[in-house]
Amino acid sequence: MRDDPSVVALVERAAGSDQDAWDEIVDRYAPLVWSICGRYRLSNHDREDVGQNVWLLLVEQLGKLREPAALPGWLATTTARECLRVVAASRKSQRLGTQLDEAVQFVDDTVIDEEMLMAERNAVLRAAFAELPPHCQRLLGMLLSDPPHSYAEISAALAIPVGSIGPQRARCLDRLRRSSALMALCEVTVGGPGGESRA
Amino acid sequence: MPDDAWDDEQLMAALQEAMRAREVVPASFIQTGKNAYAWHNIDAELAQLTYDSASDLGLAAAVRSETASIRALTFTSPHLSIEVEVTGDSLVGQVIPVRAGAIEVQAKEVATGTIPVDEVGCFAVSPKPASPFRLRYRSADGTDVVTGWITL
Repeated sequence: MRDDPSVVALVERAAGSDQDAWDEIVDRYAPLVWSICGRYRLSNHDREDVGQNVWLLLVEQLGKLREPAALPGWLATTTARECLRVVAASRKSQRLGTQLDEAVQFVDDTVIDEEMLMAERNAVLRAAFAELPPHCQRLLGMLLSDPPHSYAEISAALAIPVGSIGPQRARCLDRLRRSSALMALCEVTVGGPGGESRA
Repeated sequence: MPDDAWDDEQLMAALQEAMRAREVVPASFIQTGKNAYAWHNIDAELAQLTYDSASDLGLAAAVRSETASIRALTFTSPHLSIEVEVTGDSLVGQVIPVRAGAIEVQAKEVATGTIPVDEVGCFAVSPKPASPFRLRYRSADGTDVVTGWITL
């Protein structure tokens, strides 16, 4: 996904003066920054600080990123570095020893890479979902809600017969699967369904 | 279509995970990110961090050290350097080569008023600004330099 043309376009537009492009970058990748902070077990307050630093640094780097397509990698690495700084600072203020928590020690490049790939996959799925026709978004949204809605509830809410929910679900998922973003994603090893299931 | 494309159940599960990953992120976290764009395209030369006493000591030493109470930072642009020292509750700095002007402290989306830089290039900010912040130096001759973001 490093060559996702939409990422390159967004970065280029944001490097100009397009707030919408910037907002989309943030919408798309805030979950990545957030989840990496989670790996470092940061409090919500610390996560806010790290997030702010990461985005400020990115604003500064817009137009200087050598490979705009590598933005997710840049964000992941920068977030990890900012998290480490917060962890180190809080240990220092609590006068704790040099041993970082086991949890933090295990956050290595592999973990960060996994988070990045997962975030990319999620971003593509959300983008593909957002491009579905409204009736598909409503149907899948209800089916995905937690707790799930019953077919009877969905039938009443969307005014469709219970018997057509299954077929409509299949058709909507098919549209989703055929979206260009998702097709590209499936060609990437880790992006497919459970990368581990490949033989 | 690749052979290993998602089946319906896998796709639903993946979609659910993608939605949840977005839902757990607080709105304020996202808004903060969007607000950061306010600092884009400021017409000032960037002074990069070229020395940081904290990283000089190394992470382990910084964690261990109780004595490193002074944090020293140097920012360098093609035309000048800004040296900053943070002690206790205040921040002092010097513009090199020495010259007068004004320093503006920028934090989050707001900029504070300006602080004078005297004829030997020195300035002081007290109390020290809340992190993260950066300093923008301007002088009468049109010099306009902004440092990278500083987190204390």
